[in-house]
Amino acid sequence: MADSLSLSTAASLGSDSLYGLEELLALAGERLGEEVTPRTVRLYATEGLIDRPGKDRRRAVYGQRHLLQLLLIRALARRGLSLTAIAPLVTCSDEELGQQLLQLEEPSPSAEQQEALSYLQSLQGERSLSSSPGSSASLLPLLGSPLSSSSASLSPQRSLSTRSAGRSNVASSRWHRFSLAPGVELHLSESASIPPAGKRREAWLARLLERLREQLESES
Amino acid sequence: MNPSLHFRPLRPAVAADGATTLDLLITVRSPEHPPMQLKERPGLNLALVIDRSGSMAGSKLSHARKAARFLAGELTERDRLAIVTFDEEVNVLVPSQPVRDPLLFISAINTIHSGGCTALFDGWLAGATQVANQLDPAGLNRVLLLSDGQANEGLTDAEAIAAKVEGLTQRGISTSAFGLGSGFDEDLMGAMAAAGDGTLAQIESPKQLADLYASELQGLASTVGRKVSIGIRAKHGAELVDLLNDLPLTSAGNHQLPNLRYGQELSVGVRLQLPAWMPNQEIASVRLAWDSPDQEGRKTLIEQLTLPVKPEAELEGLEVDPEVAEQLALLRANRERRLAIEELDRGDLRAAMASIEAIDQRLKGLPQSDAITRERRLLAEKKELMTQDRNLSRKRLRRESLRSSLNVWESGDDNV
Repeated sequence: MADSLSLSTAASLGSDSLYGLEELLALAGERLGEEVTPRTVRLYATEGLIDRPGKDRRRAVYGQRHLLQLLLIRALARRGLSLTAIAPLVTCSDEELGQQLLQLEEPSPSAEQQEALSYLQSLQGERSLSSSPGSSASLLPLLGSPLSSSSASLSPQRSLSTRSAGRSNVASSRWHRFSLAPGVELHLSESASIPPAGKRREAWLARLLERLREQLESES
Repeated sequence: MNPSLHFRPLRPAVAADGATTLDLLITVRSPEHPPMQLKERPGLNLALVIDRSGSMAGSKLSHARKAARFLAGELTERDRLAIVTFDEEVNVLVPSQPVRDPLLFISAINTIHSGGCTALFDGWLAGATQVANQLDPAGLNRVLLLSDGQANEGLTDAEAIAAKVEGLTQRGISTSAFGLGSGFDEDLMGAMAAAGDGTLAQIESPKQLADLYASELQGLASTVGRKVSIGIRAKHGAELVDLLNDLPLTSAGNHQLPNLRYGQELSVGVRLQLPAWMPNQEIASVRLAWDSPDQEGRKTLIEQLTLPVKPEAELEGLEVDPEVAEQLALLRANRERRLAIEELDRGDLRAAMASIEAIDQRLKGLPQSDAITRERRLLAEKKELMTQDRNLSRKRLRRESLRSSLNVWESGDDNV
């Protein structure tokens, strides 16, 4: 019953053509100039960003609306939008989806636009340089260097970022951020007390390292 | 319809047989109204950059959301709007797009919640990038930055930030800086608005935000000229010895004026030192240059200053133009507030109060017009505040000191 219902929904949207997942991915990839993976589509579907596919026997089938949604989500995500921000933008009518997509597919930029953009990109570049380890980290000398260089090869872990997200509930506290290695950052609250150099500092660092190891191991 | 330049000397002549110190007001007058045949206002390309750091929590952020909803509601599909929020991280909430359906923006705005610390520069950078993506060289492209804090994450140095903002102004995107509450960095916000060729606002109550945005839109819509510069060249041995407004210098060595709006007058006060002068000899040439929002290329206007020449003995007896005297005194009063701020920063409260007192003493000697009365009331208020709330006093002094060099928003109700 559910199957026939979703099929009829797709049909009522006026999309003559129904695609399998492969076809959908190929079409989207071509339009976007980037590869779209089945995982991405599944993620968007679970997050409710893309309507649930219809079913033809046991095969999931997609229509024009799904394609529009997928194109729009990718176009917005490439502009730096988070999925939560995208969610309300992809629930509108097919026509509106198409319009939004048209707006995003701009003609090639003018000379003035190019100049302003490349200027901003150069500022961006300076920013990432200045936040490289050591240069902006005024508190780092206090801390010593708690992580060995091998940690640079580890990608940021989800449980670490969840942990750091918890701090934002503390409304008035201030946080300092130090880049320890490419892709690895330390967030330090102003209220954190760092033991003075010596045995206590060493023990504190050892505890931190232990916590970090636990986190990384529970992730892998 | 173009702006015009006018000269008003304090005394209407210079000396033939001796040196003259010439005090002069140079007034830039914008046309009253746009020409009748002018189509609707040019489209706006805006990014609203909102500080959502921890200190914004509560009523500040709820007013910021409300004001942002108001802004989205005021724009039309000819305008573009992007919304960026920042704490220590930057989030492009809505990428730049035409405001076809304000509801779309409003639902995104409603999701803004307070977070951590203040990566003000990164937030500005993200907003600027949104505007740059859609840059319309013939339109009005601007970043509106709202913050209640000190930049404490990423690039934080005021001068360095201002230099980068100025680079973007040169590339066609202006920046307005709005400080909210009592914790923002007034020097940084002032420097950003000056470098950004935009508006400076200091809002003590978040309730004023909607009025501010309305006035900002109105100001943008009635822009006659942006990137306005004035070049003053003294001639034939005359010398420009003082310029009373704190105008930023442009790369060409001219002075940058705020954006010109319909019906607006801007006055620049100067002092020239002249040797004995010959009749009909030009004293200075003044060149105004600006970008017009609806026409391509830079516009210029040049006026030459000549004045009647009289024997030195007769100059003394010439009447002083009272309006010019008043304007010059007000410009000086703006500038001298800087001294009081420096003294406050040194912790010398007594000297700062004495400086304010000295400004007031000079204003006291003038006819007590409405403008002078208001100015003296502002000074008395600052003096009183210094002992009660030094931070607020400094913020207001900074804002007032910038009135003669950039567009400073003043709400209707804080002129007390």
